[in-house]
Amino acid sequence: MRYPRLLALALLVLLLLAWEWAVQAFKFSPLVLPAPSVIGAALGRGLVTGYLWPHIAQTLLELGLGLALGVLLGFAGGVLLGESALLRRVLMPYVVTSQVVPKLALLPLFIVWFGFGTTPTVVITALICFFPLLENTLTGIAQVDAARLELFRMLGATRAQTLWRLKLPASLPAILAGLRVAVVLALVGAVVGEFIGASQGLGALIIAAQGSMDTALMFAVLLLITIIGLLLYEATLWLERKLLTTYSFPSN
Amino acid sequence: MSTAPFLDMRQVSYTFPGWPPVVQRVDWDIAPGEFHCLVGRSGCGKTTLLKLAAGLLRPDEGTVQLQGRPLPEPGPQIGFVFQQPTLLDWLSVRDNVLLPLSLQGPVGADDVARAEALLAQLGLGAHLQHRPRQLSGGQQSRVAIARALLPGPSILLMDEPFAALDALTREELQDALLAVCRERGTPVFFVTHDIAEAVYLADRVAVMDAGRIRHDVRVALLRPRFQDVRYSPAFNAICAELRHAMDGEGVA
Repeated sequence: MRYPRLLALALLVLLLLAWEWAVQAFKFSPLVLPAPSVIGAALGRGLVTGYLWPHIAQTLLELGLGLALGVLLGFAGGVLLGESALLRRVLMPYVVTSQVVPKLALLPLFIVWFGFGTTPTVVITALICFFPLLENTLTGIAQVDAARLELFRMLGATRAQTLWRLKLPASLPAILAGLRVAVVLALVGAVVGEFIGASQGLGALIIAAQGSMDTALMFAVLLLITIIGLLLYEATLWLERKLLTTYSFPSN
Repeated sequence: MSTAPFLDMRQVSYTFPGWPPVVQRVDWDIAPGEFHCLVGRSGCGKTTLLKLAAGLLRPDEGTVQLQGRPLPEPGPQIGFVFQQPTLLDWLSVRDNVLLPLSLQGPVGADDVARAEALLAQLGLGAHLQHRPRQLSGGQQSRVAIARALLPGPSILLMDEPFAALDALTREELQDALLAVCRERGTPVFFVTHDIAEAVYLADRVAVMDAGRIRHDVRVALLRPRFQDVRYSPAFNAICAELRHAMDGEGVA
């Protein structure tokens, strides 16, 4: 377990050294490809002077709000559609259609509706997170084993009991898999939302850095976004482990 | 018969829409405390008849009465054991057994004590906190039996509960089942395709074919029975009679 991880780390160091060496040897312009040491310096400067923090906070705020909104609505929608065959028949064509629409293409429209700033980015992030949650919750509820449903009928369980005590616990692995997808997509939504509709946030900062030809800063921000994504992904994995331990005992 | 029938099915018929009748004008009654088996080939309608007795299906024609009254809505007053153990993976063995009670209301300390005593009687005293997936197939079937028995049902209906188990485990479970039901005086209606299993367990065996009861045998072997009885001439004579009835050679 430890050995491959060390190898992965060694590979990273090797790649960074090769990059550093290549920049010096071939005299790449820092406008095209700055050396890792320059990127590191830019990142360190931004963090120490406090220049980057408001942007990080803004992106985290949009990410958090959008994710929470999208996940809650997607989950609620999945439960509603999963429980009501009528709603499913009426609304499914609309759900499928709206899922096919490239959500990011709606961003200019949202800017018209909500103005520049936090709101359009939160809305686009929520919209992007909505569908994986809706779809996975719906599928999880629809795939509950018929024999267990019959068991709950035989035990005289109410509809609410069947939902809370059987359907939702049985769908939890599928719902959490949807959350994992949503988290990764949410970051894309937040950053691209800021590209177009914001002056604050890491996405907006990339555009600003591009305008002032500060390629090192672009790389530094990219690194920050990647770290945020990794931390979020790890957090959902941790949540999955925490919630699913009761499900996944190895059979002996 | 001197005692009034406990479960009384009269002229019961059932048809799934668009198919030939699955159950046709079946009369069957079970006296208090008796163990009845229903044998037949796959697709002969025996599971449907059992679900009619449980109230999971309602007959198109005929009546089903339990203790002289029309069959109530499905509830824990009728114990039902399915072909698969249908345990909930995310609950401990003890909480699985307590499920029928916890769906009716808060579970008290005396309920927990009864569940633990019942599990101990079925040889699972050391597995209270384990998850279903940590148990063998036979142990899971024992948990399913305990779950059906805990609410103190007036009758136990069983749908080939041991079909997926190996022969030795099946025999152990047959003895365990006879012991708990005898102690509680619970009548049982047990569906199986295994003639020897039916004769070993039952006071009375029905042979079903194409939706009708073709044959009806009283098993006059002494109780308590032990596995040795399987090698006695009387046992084999009854098995042979049932086998002929299943082949449609019309012994009666």
